[in-house]
Amino acid sequence: MVACLVEVRGAVKNFGSFAALRGLNLDIEEGETYGLLGPNGSGKTTLIRAMAGVLRLDGGEIRIFGKKVPSREVAARVGYMTQAPALYEDLTVRENITFFARLYGLREKVAERVEEVMELVYLADKADRPVRTLSGGMKQRTNLACALVHRPRLVLLDEPTVGVDPRLRQGLWEYFHRLNREGTTLLISTHVMDEAERCGRIAFLQEGTVLAVGTPAELKEAAGAATIEEAFLYFDRRRGGGDDG
Amino acid sequence: MGRGVLVLAGRIVRQLVRDKRTFALIFVVPAVIMTLLYFLMPDEVKPVKVGVVNHDTGVSVPAPAVKQKGIWQSPPAPTVKKELGKEVVKALRERENLKVEEIREDDASSRLREGSLDAVLFIPANFSVATLKEKKGEVELCLEGTVPGTVALTRREVQEGVMTFFARMSGQAVKLPLRVKTTYKYGGEDFGTLDYFAPGFIGGFVFFFVFLLTSVSFLRERSSGTMERLLASPVSRMEVVLGYLLGFCLFAIIQSVVIIFFSVYVLDIKFLGRVTDIAVVVFLLTLGAVNLGIFLSFFARTELQVVQFIPLVVVPQFLIGGVIWPVETLIEPLQWLARLLPMTYAIEALRRIMLKGFSLAEVVPQLLFLVGFAILMVVLATFNLRREQA
Repeated sequence: MVACLVEVRGAVKNFGSFAALRGLNLDIEEGETYGLLGPNGSGKTTLIRAMAGVLRLDGGEIRIFGKKVPSREVAARVGYMTQAPALYEDLTVRENITFFARLYGLREKVAERVEEVMELVYLADKADRPVRTLSGGMKQRTNLACALVHRPRLVLLDEPTVGVDPRLRQGLWEYFHRLNREGTTLLISTHVMDEAERCGRIAFLQEGTVLAVGTPAELKEAAGAATIEEAFLYFDRRRGGGDDG
Repeated sequence: MGRGVLVLAGRIVRQLVRDKRTFALIFVVPAVIMTLLYFLMPDEVKPVKVGVVNHDTGVSVPAPAVKQKGIWQSPPAPTVKKELGKEVVKALRERENLKVEEIREDDASSRLREGSLDAVLFIPANFSVATLKEKKGEVELCLEGTVPGTVALTRREVQEGVMTFFARMSGQAVKLPLRVKTTYKYGGEDFGTLDYFAPGFIGGFVFFFVFLLTSVSFLRERSSGTMERLLASPVSRMEVVLGYLLGFCLFAIIQSVVIIFFSVYVLDIKFLGRVTDIAVVVFLLTLGAVNLGIFLSFFARTELQVVQFIPLVVVPQFLIGGVIWPVETLIEPLQWLARLLPMTYAIEALRRIMLKGFSLAEVVPQLLFLVGFAILMVVLATFNLRREQA
């Protein structure tokens, strides 16, 4: 059996009395565009933060590239885009991206790589603008560029399209697919149901566990539903959850 | 319109009461600072420490009792040995504000240097002879000279002590032309208050700004989410802390060099030590301030809360760390407290280097404390950063 790129086994995480992850299992194969779908509070961000090595699990383990996280070796080959733009507002777009490139150990041709990434997210003409002068959409693109500049093998994207206008959202997805075609594995969390259709496989998350995993078509078929949203509700009901109606 | 005012005022009261820390600070901090100030302004004056080197060999004078009776004269006139040096010491010992100690001449210089004496009074071997026979007695008062208040008090007290002695002798109808010659080991007549304060201000400013800048920028790092990105990167937590350290140390050193040059060339402040030695002390103080800033920024959610740490962390260090009042003049419990603060050691080292021209090797204990404090703070800051992960 081929080892998965990401293996999550029995992940448990509690914040005080709140159980964010309750023994969650997940496998992501190399080259996938994997979607994490679930409402707010279902554990998407907690899971991604644990994968990024920022959060320590209370139980279970996560292996990426066969190594247990947190691991500095793994961290160097993972890209992490936070939900809200995490940028230095006083620095320019170029300075921000260059900082992250160096932070991830890029040594050679840093300037070229930074230019390249800025082209990818259509920010080359804003390169020398301080981040604080940018619009929300531009900040989000800069944020993405910072997560990708070191050519990660796996990119973790936490709700990358929240608060983004439809045109930019379209552009981001086109870019995600291009990255994926170039061999990068993507994990994208979202609570927008129709966005999940764009992923290869998706996992429905609810209250810190996985309800179901499959391609969008498989999930819809199994639930006998026309939309992803209906499929999600079907699996959620079957589990006996959905206390918020 | 009146109603709107009440609605707003009500909301402000509610918010303030909810922000427990601000609420507590409004009432606690004034009490703390006032208490410190209360103890800083003691009613009684601390005695100054004066060493006496008494070389006086005394003089033999005819016994006065014999002369007065004058009924029969004994062939060898009886003489009395007079030791005026001892009389001076006795007169000085009677003064409440002086703590007199007889020392050996060899120790005088080093005792002044280390600061365990504020002044040394030299009484020459021929003091009695010169005073009684040649009528031009002279003692020499050598002042440590760097603490303006102490200098004034010592001069006054010693002068008055000698006057008491003089008055006593005059009572015995001896005319005493007595002179107190004053010299300074450090500083001097033209040594002003600003000269004394300059080292304190360098230490104080550096600590204040570095602490404030670090804690605010570290807080921003956390609130903007970039800390999350740093933690997800292959860079270790210790590296993050050390990186901050390096960045801010650079600024602190440039800042203190600017202060030093401004003080020396514009304000014309007396300055004996080497700039590089000062830079070393400032560097070590910065280490502590940066890490204290990082450490405490974990206990703040907003920039306002960082600012609230200032009266708790910075102001007491200014008050009792020797920036304004010398630590030695504080009441004892405050001196113990001061001994726990990095500011005390930094300013002690800066003052010795700048005012007395000490080399780094002579302020090693102070430097060691600063290093120890910095290491403790690196550990605490890294530990907090580790907790950040959970």
